[in-house]
Amino acid sequence: MASTALILHATWEHIVLVYSTLLASILIAIPLAIASLYNRQLASVVIYFANLVQAVPSFAVIAIVVPFLGIGFIPALIAIMLRALLPIIKNTYIGLTNVDPALIDYANGIGLSEWQIQRYIRFPNAYPAMFAGIRFSAILANSIAVLTAFIGSGGLGGIIFQGLIGYNAEKLLLGAIPAIFLAMLIDYSFALLEKKLTPAYMKE
Amino acid sequence: MPTQRLFERIDSIELQRVSKKYGSRYAVESLELTIEGGELLILIGPSGSGKTTTLRMINRMTEPDSGNILINGQDIMQLDPVRLRRNIGYVIQNIGLFPHMTIGENVGLVPKLEGWDEKRTNGRVRHLLDFVSLPPEQFIKRYPRQLSGGQQQRVGLARALAMDPPLLLMDEPFGALDPILRKQLQKEFLEIKKEIGRTIVFITHDIEEALRLGDRIAIMDNGRLVQVGAPEDLIFDPVNDLVSDIVDSERKFKHMDMLNVKDLMTPLDAKYILDGGMNACEAVEIMKDRDIDIGIVFENGMLAGKVEMINLLKCEDERPFLRDITKPMKVFALRDSVATALSEMKMSREHMAMVMNADTVCGILVSDEVLLKLI
Amino acid sequence: MKEYFHEILILWNNHMLTMRTIEHLKMFSIALIISVIIGVGVGVLIYSQPKMASPVLNFLNILETIPDLALLVILLPLLRLGTGPTIAASVIYSILPIARNTYTGLKGVDGKYIYVAEAIGLSPRDILLNVRIPMSLPLIAGGIRIALVFTMGVVTLGGLVAAGGLGTVLQNGIQLYEKDAILLAGLWTGILAVILDLGAGWIEKELYKRYDTWHPQR
Ligand SMILES: Nc1ncnc2c1ncn2[C@@H]1O[C@H](COP(=O)(O)OP(=O)(O)O)[C@@H](O)[C@H]1O
Ligand SMILES: [Mg+2]
Repeated sequence: MASTALILHATWEHIVLVYSTLLASILIAIPLAIASLYNRQLASVVIYFANLVQAVPSFAVIAIVVPFLGIGFIPALIAIMLRALLPIIKNTYIGLTNVDPALIDYANGIGLSEWQIQRYIRFPNAYPAMFAGIRFSAILANSIAVLTAFIGSGGLGGIIFQGLIGYNAEKLLLGAIPAIFLAMLIDYSFALLEKKLTPAYMKE
Repeated sequence: MPTQRLFERIDSIELQRVSKKYGSRYAVESLELTIEGGELLILIGPSGSGKTTTLRMINRMTEPDSGNILINGQDIMQLDPVRLRRNIGYVIQNIGLFPHMTIGENVGLVPKLEGWDEKRTNGRVRHLLDFVSLPPEQFIKRYPRQLSGGQQQRVGLARALAMDPPLLLMDEPFGALDPILRKQLQKEFLEIKKEIGRTIVFITHDIEEALRLGDRIAIMDNGRLVQVGAPEDLIFDPVNDLVSDIVDSERKFKHMDMLNVKDLMTPLDAKYILDGGMNACEAVEIMKDRDIDIGIVFENGMLAGKVEMINLLKCEDERPFLRDITKPMKVFALRDSVATALSEMKMSREHMAMVMNADTVCGILVSDEVLLKLI
Repeated sequence: MKEYFHEILILWNNHMLTMRTIEHLKMFSIALIISVIIGVGVGVLIYSQPKMASPVLNFLNILETIPDLALLVILLPLLRLGTGPTIAASVIYSILPIARNTYTGLKGVDGKYIYVAEAIGLSPRDILLNVRIPMSLPLIAGGIRIALVFTMGVVTLGGLVAAGGLGTVLQNGIQLYEKDAILLAGLWTGILAVILDLGAGWIEKELYKRYDTWHPQR
């Protein structure tokens, strides 16, 4: 059936969009969070900006991207990233800063290098928060990726928008239901991953 | 819905073989204790000895496993707990004023829930704040965090008095305060206690506070009542070492035989001295002026006895001369033993005696003060 | 400069942004009010029926992962195009943060206040109404603030399902590729959302300040 092929194709496009965005977000967010650790000014700007933009409706973010970047996959990816970056940056930063200062003092005292402190103390401590941020961003990306079909990203949203033209209920559901399943799948797989990755000493 | 008043006054609270277990351990075991109406009973004892549990059982915050608690002969298990608690004031150490309510709202909360109108509640709140020496205009609109610890404690007391309960339960109310503030509040509390004339059960870990405030003191240990009695009873007849440790930690009373009246007497302030030749009416006026309740009557330089304000008021109509209505006072010499003096005073139920050297007045001996000087 | 503002004004009027903003805020307020009523209700309910707390919160959590546009369109067959599904979807998203924060707040009230409340003769109902709920207000406000952001987001999507509001302007702008209109409506929507969020944040902070406990001599 043509519609099955259509859905599979749209789902694939959707997944590619979500995961490319997520990967790009992680690659940008984590270095930014680490940089914020060494620069108070950067930290306060990043956190303040993160909080502000979090309030802006996704549709508005997508719309604002269009006059600058036009439409298509890349503008969609950037629009999603603008929202998906923030939870990761914020959570990573919080995780990294929430280390007992006495522990850092002690680490300095026994002669660990800055890099070693990052690697062995700050990061392990930040994992759970970072992971929660990434999980939240993945769900968010999946959600916004439905919407970016409106600016030509393709994916499951495309079927929904076709359904909205002339109101075709079947098409609406054919687009929406896989997107919902995908959301639950992402949530569930991240929950499993979280269980696996949590260090033994942090489990209850 | 307004709660009916359960009792206008307390005649007695009886705890009959009351026990409470937590796990396999008794918090309170077979407690047998009668609290008399109008008295201030102190509960004192080591931490974990069951004082708080005892107090909580009286207002049904904790239910005993066995035994009965009767207030004015009525089993409290037959009363609705919420209604019972609204008839009993409760004050605790860390006051627990509600941080989201102003002082006025905190004090007026139960009256409001009782359905009092705003005007009546407001009047009551103002009266109570005045009563605990917090000017209402200044405090009624403030939040608890804007008050010092001592001020919060006063508000806690005002809140407990909101429904004018005939019984007050107080669990280390001054425990968290610094010593100076504690002394001050104790002093004020003594005044208040005189005015309100309620039955009070008061937990403390401070024996000085206990002796200062208590009519009787009950000593608890390990969930059991060890001894209960007036301060002198515990001091002079402790049933065991724990009691002597608590009431007399420095063992000063052990050496009381060595102490003389001279060491512990108080100088006699001239304002207490009245002349036997004046009549009752004049005496009352003078005593009001001098702010004294008791007077010591001399005639021609000789001690005639003492007079008390309450008795003088009764005989205002007949206007007798003081010399005709004085009551005899015990007289001790400077070298008399304090122990003997105190036990003699106790036997005749007097709390004040004269100290004289031949015909010269040297001072007075006040039993409460002697105890406080010794600890 | 003056011409610049003049152009903006013309653009604003051409796209009827005043009317769209009013439509937008109307939907937003209705949705938020319903969310608060249901959210606080659910929070109190699962507080008083602790056994229900975990299943209810888990269920709401799953709803939360659903992409907002997908949720909106699966409501269409039930509720038709227009404001109905937009408000319904907003409410579905907003129940969780409000209910969860209400529940956490009610449960988290310091035991010493409950102890005192019982001691001075408050019934369980009195305690809920006079102690637990008021002391949870800062947390409930925090939940409402999160719900506000969700609601703003979904209401903006309303433009795609003929509900009116600012989303309509964004939709038309993108479809006709009118860059100026997109930018103006996009920025205005963003600014509106940020202002509302900041306002809510301020209220939340004030509540915390006001309700913060002061501990005597510790
Ligand atoms: N709710 C409770 N659960 C378990 N044990 C308790 C509880 N309340 C009191 N206890 C125990 O009962 C004993 C008496 O406690 P309490 O009456 O508070 O003593 P006090 O007030 O004299 O310090 C202690 O051993 C205490 O640990
Ligand atoms: Mg205690």
